[in-house]
Amino acid sequence: MSWEASQFSLADFYYSDSDSPLTPPADYVAWRRDTAWATSLYEPVLCDPAGPINRLRTATGEQRVINMTSYGYLGLVRHPKVIAAAKQALDDYGTGACGSPILSGKSTLYQALEIKLSALTGYPAVLLFNSGFGGALGCAAGLMRKGDVAVVDARAHISMVDGLKVGGAKIAFFEHNSARALDEVLSAHNGARRLIFVDGLYSMDGDLADLPALIAVAESHGVGILVDEAHSFLCCGNTGGGVVEHFGMRAKVGVQYGTLSKAFSCGGGFAAASTDLIDYLRFYANTYGFTCAMPPSVVAAASAVIDVMQTETWRRAQLWENAAYFRTQLQSLGINTGESTSYVVPIVVGENRALLYQLGHQLREHGLFVTPVDYPTVALDQARFRASVTALHTRALLDQALQIIEDVFVPAMREKGLLRARAM
Amino acid sequence: MTREEVLAVVARHLASSVDGLDPKTIDPMRSMKDYGANSLDIVEVVSGAMRELKVKVPRTELNKLTNLDGLVGLLYDIKSNTGELAKP
Ligand SMILES: Cc1ncc(COP(=O)(O)O)c(C=O)c1O
Repeated sequence: MSWEASQFSLADFYYSDSDSPLTPPADYVAWRRDTAWATSLYEPVLCDPAGPINRLRTATGEQRVINMTSYGYLGLVRHPKVIAAAKQALDDYGTGACGSPILSGKSTLYQALEIKLSALTGYPAVLLFNSGFGGALGCAAGLMRKGDVAVVDARAHISMVDGLKVGGAKIAFFEHNSARALDEVLSAHNGARRLIFVDGLYSMDGDLADLPALIAVAESHGVGILVDEAHSFLCCGNTGGGVVEHFGMRAKVGVQYGTLSKAFSCGGGFAAASTDLIDYLRFYANTYGFTCAMPPSVVAAASAVIDVMQTETWRRAQLWENAAYFRTQLQSLGINTGESTSYVVPIVVGENRALLYQLGHQLREHGLFVTPVDYPTVALDQARFRASVTALHTRALLDQALQIIEDVFVPAMREKGLLRARAM
Repeated sequence: MTREEVLAVVARHLASSVDGLDPKTIDPMRSMKDYGANSLDIVEVVSGAMRELKVKVPRTELNKLTNLDGLVGLLYDIKSNTGELAKP
């Protein structure tokens, strides 16, 4: 990557000065060409279902890699019972829902999933969405209006932020996970209708929302909170009810949002809340009513996942055990894992963005599949690999991954003086 | 174009992003955050000003700035040096 190219990032081409919106900015096109080698790490093509080991398509054939990129934290994507349920639904209900849930898209399977999710979350009502992103966007836009103030954790996922832009509310960010900063921002917007937006588990950092501290502040201001549990639902909490369950905060969280794409390994999203609020969102979250309902096979698979997790609780336990092992082993190599306390583990490179891509290629050549995460998704001096473990990574596989990191990542970082002294 | 004119451009874009802000009262020694702009507003202000001034500075450079004066100085320098970014 040339010096000029490495100075620019996706943060620079949002506003275009080309004559037509159908012509992307010329400097963007040139920058994409100049950075093609680096960014060829993105949009890799997999030849088999996401698992601890995968085959990636390469220019010359296929490559075996240890996959540490998957959102399928509980390893359910190839579960025979889940697949059987999806196949049965294909036979019984066909390929698509053929209607919006409000008009005609709900099946008996759909209704059964609503009931199961309501039981699992502990909220009286649930609304299903055909996309995790779309559901979050719709909820944010459906709840907040012009004149309202959305008080948003600075690292909250873009789906909520985009929804808030659609709704026209003012967005006031507070410093990530800081109860003091939340208090200041809430005070600064005293008088307005306010709602707090946080993620349950931050997808690029792997830390949990500090719900006890944040909710104490929220209550002192009489302001409610929405928690997006996209990455935490099913994995956190004794019964899989997310960080809301983990911290025992159910009664204090107005909306619990979750996705069916991550640990569920299916697709879609849901909001859980009071019956009246869900009934309001039914008609004001436009990504619910103005789009086709989830395909029956996906609904059936998500439903089967809930059943499977009633008995296969070992998956949750194994996930956390693997996470602790992988994270502490990385730390003992002197690697900065940021604020992670979970199965999402950043491997921080820092501000040397060219090094991030160089190492990304080397790690992949050695058979380790991790995702480079660059500015502006994370802060400029926090470029990193996002690694995630799953319940199905064996100790031997984790050790192989760690060995690749020790052979490839550690010496390159040490040479640049970017690694802490080795702990131990 | 003078430094004052660059400041006027930036101040106008800031005032259009922050409700109730009078561009004439903006103090360049303060930051956009001090005036209640969030990170999305700041992107909009800087992009709008750069578009109007016909200069392009990578956001990675802008992140090092601490106040409006720094931003104005950088945009002014680049505008006076034919729009080129100084290499280290
Ligand atoms: C916090 C959060 N919310 C929502 C989403 C979107 O979910 P989906 O991928 O199911 O569309 C994501 C996905 O990355 C996320 O991390």
